Amino acid sequence: MIIAERKPIPRILQMIEPFERVAVIGCRGCVAICSAGGDREVEILASALRLARKRAGKPLETIEETFVRQCDPEYLAPLTDLKEKVEAVVSLACGVGVNLVADLHPDLKVYPGVDTSFYGANPALGEWEEKCRGCGDCIIDFTGGLCPIARCAKNLLNGPCGGSQGGRCEIRPEVPCVWHQIYERLKSRGELEKLTQVWPAKNWIPAGHGGPRERVRPDLQVNSKK
Amino acid sequence: MSEMKMVILCCHYTNEATKEDVADIPARVEIKRYPCSGRIEVVDILRAFEDDAEAVMVAGCEKGSCHNHSGSSRAEKRVEAARKILEEIGLEPERVQMAFVPRLDTGAFVEAAKKTFETLLEISRKGESSS
Repeated sequence: MIIAERKPIPRILQMIEPFERVAVIGCRGCVAICSAGGDREVEILASALRLARKRAGKPLETIEETFVRQCDPEYLAPLTDLKEKVEAVVSLACGVGVNLVADLHPDLKVYPGVDTSFYGANPALGEWEEKCRGCGDCIIDFTGGLCPIARCAKNLLNGPCGGSQGGRCEIRPEVPCVWHQIYERLKSRGELEKLTQVWPAKNWIPAGHGGPRERVRPDLQVNSKK
Repeated sequence: MSEMKMVILCCHYTNEATKEDVADIPARVEIKRYPCSGRIEVVDILRAFEDDAEAVMVAGCEKGSCHNHSGSSRAEKRVEAARKILEEIGLEPERVQMAFVPRLDTGAFVEAAKKTFETLLEISRKGESSS
């Protein structure tokens, strides 16, 4: 899922400083699962903003809503009515949601309430770890399912580096060296020969060369606007 | 009578004290009950401040004696989360206190409430001397 983290409240207060009525809108997708922008976070942020503004002598009214997703136009339909009631919107969706709101409602002032951080897993309650960089050219069939782009501090394709010590990363010793893990994984699977392949410099074109990436499935397209 | 308002968010099983039990505290004390302190959310604490509370005490059962196993430990974490938010918006985090009190021990409950009020007085004194 996409992992995000709430921005510092003073930063959000700065964004909405001129306004007296704002909507705080959450998303029940990834940011709800990673406890950054779901129903609960919406009510906490809205309350904190109201409290801060009350103390500053400039009361703030808020409307709290959480949409099923903010990355699909159909779920953003309620914004058409909502934007008539507020001067601005703080979105707790990931950057995708904020961008789509801005695309679909050019007349609406929308501000991000979270920083979108990474693609990650939820190995334990309250913990999230990066597992994928979305580089568009997945090679983890050769690395035992473990991604050296996302999980190696140096993004090495032919690791480990000389700094790997005792299975730990030299950059952050609390993090396992993924190349050590890859070696152990392939060894236990009897696939060490996969490490005899020397990878050339990575082709980063699928990672975003040429601007925003797109994906099209013609069999699913209906009323395409392209 | 002080105009200060203090809110106590309390687990129903921890204590059944009423306003009369905390009448000695020179503040407006409001007690809100929950089925378990684990049900008390960060936003409940923040909303108490929105409703003019100057201090909030969250009361739960002593660790290991929670009716629902880990409710008061959860409450403690939410108190910590609320404190961080208060700090972000310029309020003293000590305005929120977590109190683990023996079940149905009103004496201990009242003592914890008095301690929270004393913390509030201390914060107010510091505020006055720095302004």
